Amino acid sequence: MSAKRKRPGPASDSLVTEHEKTVHEVIRSKKDMGASQWEMKREINVADNIITKCIKSLLSKNLIKEVKSIQSRGRKHYMSAEFEPSSEITGGAWYVEGSLDTEYINVLKEQCWRKIYGMKVATLEGIADALRRSNVSQIELSKQQVEEIVKALVLDNQVMEVKSTGTGEFASIPVGKVCYKCIGKRGYGGEPKLGALASIPCGVCPQISRCTPDGIISPNTCAYYQKWLDF
Amino acid sequence: MVPLYGIKCAVNLITTHFGDLVAKVCECLLRKGPLTLQATVRFTELTSSQVKNCLLVLIQHNCVQAFVLEQSVEHGDAAKANTQYIALFDNIIHRWRFNKFLTIVSQNLDKQCVDLLEALLQHGRLTLKQMSDRAKSVQNEGDDVILDAVQEAVIKLLNAHFIERCPASEPVITNPTKQEVSARKRAAKSAKIFEEQETLEQRVVEAAAPSEALRFLLVAQTEPAADGGKDETNSSIVTPGEKRKRDALESETEYGAADEQVVLWRVNFEEFIRRLRHKACVENVKTRLDDGAVTVLKAMLEATRSTEKKVKTDNSVPLSLNSIYEEVIKSEEGRNITFDRVRAALIQLSCPPFVIAANESYSIDFKKIIELAQNEEVESIVLKRYGRDAYRMFRLLSNSGHLLETDKIADATFVEKKETPKILYKLWKDDYLQMEKLQVTGAKRLSQFLLWKVNKNILREHVLNEMFHAALNLVQRVAFELEPEKEMLNIPRDKLLNRQRKVRLLLESSHMKLDDAIMLFHDF
Repeated sequence: MSAKRKRPGPASDSLVTEHEKTVHEVIRSKKDMGASQWEMKREINVADNIITKCIKSLLSKNLIKEVKSIQSRGRKHYMSAEFEPSSEITGGAWYVEGSLDTEYINVLKEQCWRKIYGMKVATLEGIADALRRSNVSQIELSKQQVEEIVKALVLDNQVMEVKSTGTGEFASIPVGKVCYKCIGKRGYGGEPKLGALASIPCGVCPQISRCTPDGIISPNTCAYYQKWLDF
Repeated sequence: MVPLYGIKCAVNLITTHFGDLVAKVCECLLRKGPLTLQATVRFTELTSSQVKNCLLVLIQHNCVQAFVLEQSVEHGDAAKANTQYIALFDNIIHRWRFNKFLTIVSQNLDKQCVDLLEALLQHGRLTLKQMSDRAKSVQNEGDDVILDAVQEAVIKLLNAHFIERCPASEPVITNPTKQEVSARKRAAKSAKIFEEQETLEQRVVEAAAPSEALRFLLVAQTEPAADGGKDETNSSIVTPGEKRKRDALESETEYGAADEQVVLWRVNFEEFIRRLRHKACVENVKTRLDDGAVTVLKAMLEATRSTEKKVKTDNSVPLSLNSIYEEVIKSEEGRNITFDRVRAALIQLSCPPFVIAANESYSIDFKKIIELAQNEEVESIVLKRYGRDAYRMFRLLSNSGHLLETDKIADATFVEKKETPKILYKLWKDDYLQMEKLQVTGAKRLSQFLLWKVNKNILREHVLNEMFHAALNLVQRVAFELEPEKEMLNIPRDKLLNRQRKVRLLLESSHMKLDDAIMLFHDF
């Protein structure tokens, strides 16, 4: 005769609730940083399946919520309902749902470039003002955020950072102040001049360190050369 | 230090131009450093006579320099002296560039000079008589007419510093004693000077070189000029008996007036590399600034070129605004430029700082221009090989000059934090970045951080080696494409020839463009 599993009685019910309370306390103590299940396990010595049950229950009671964390790298992250996730786990203005908001960043970068192009020489304040006035972003950007975008344009080699000489095109800018200019004669998104090595197959080849004059990988047998010379 | 593939390129060049035997001797010297004749025979396993002939060919073509190394007397030992041979790597690689040198001469001088330079490139070294004999064999003129024409061309080439007297055949170098070396180091340390150690090659070349007074001087066996005075246009010619720097000439016993007939002349590679360096600077500025700024830069280069003591000069000699303006209006493109435009162009050239202004005079910052060009070349490779995100990361690290942590790099370049280490790792694996691990003991656990950096000196050597590798590949592929066996394939002959022509054009022009980049990293 198979024994039927007993339904959990009143004694086991209060044990689950007790655990729920403990789990909720741990999550709440992390405030706007929240915690993952792994972190909870380390703090309270309770079996994994019980923690999972507690989380499920707390979620259904809307006492906690699930948030995306850029630090957790795949693990789910939970926060007490009354807190908003800090920028340390959301990633700040540039992240949405735990991923970089690439589209938003690219739009801002282009707009920023156009403002600098229009002004010929621009300070950070000038760029921030211009962006604000044109309502490019629905969210008000801080000076630091504008600086991050401008510095990214410098890294893209679209814009260069210079110091004002106080004369000529810098006449309206105090001497020594950092400002920005568009580079060269290409438009936004234009690629920099192709270098000599980069314009031949060897320059792009992932196998160059294994290529030898008489080896299996050699200029005579190279598939990239074959394609390049296929007129 | 010569990159590994640089040596392979040099050996390939010598093999193509002079054959396997000469290449074997050359390779031995390139890999092992300076050697005596006996040591070269031992390493190459050739006969003494074979090695001697190969060395003669290499010396004739300025690829090897002989010298006598005298060991200083120490503790009563007898002084030791033996003749050694050192390969001149740079001169070997210049053999690729002969067409570039000829182009420079054809842009500045007449056809006679171009022909003469071509002869010197072909034969390595020639006396005046050999040059005349060669001209006689191709021209149908009287002997005197030919000699005058050749002499005139030689003087023009000397005035432009395109050719020079050949160096001494076996200069003597002394190795300093241990005491002398430590005394020199102590003196440098106390004076807080960074003394860049001269390589043996540099010392040999310097010791062999004729004095500056003689280097571009032709002592002619002619009557003094009728006007009795110095002819400004013939500054390279001095007749015996004229008042001149006697000390310089008399001390050069090898170069007394009586020996002028046997004086050997050769191409002065240094001047051509200097001109190519200037050309590269102009090209780089052209991509960033307008024609006015480029014209002003060209004028400054023209005005200061003759004052440069060495090719790799950091800055040009300072010029006043007036001097620059006077030089600008001499040129065709600068004829209509106003004084104010020149001043405005100089301000343009200060951002980025291609030209430095100090005390109302201006000098070109070659080091800065070359450095920017080198950065662009490397960044172009990174962009094409590893993509835009890697390009941004590389530029961040290259500009900052110090170690940066992975997450900081991710934030600054707007790349996902989990993708960033993968990209950085790829760059590190291919030697474009250096990496260090940092372990920090936190409250409860050990955290490991990865820090990344661009080491520009190491990277420059690595990229230069890749460039030589790519150059060798291009040369090898040309040879492969032109192999006679290709004709055996079932392709119509005219189609085959047409393809070979196109392929050769593409490969050779790519090689010459790549050579410009090699000069940027090695010679400029």
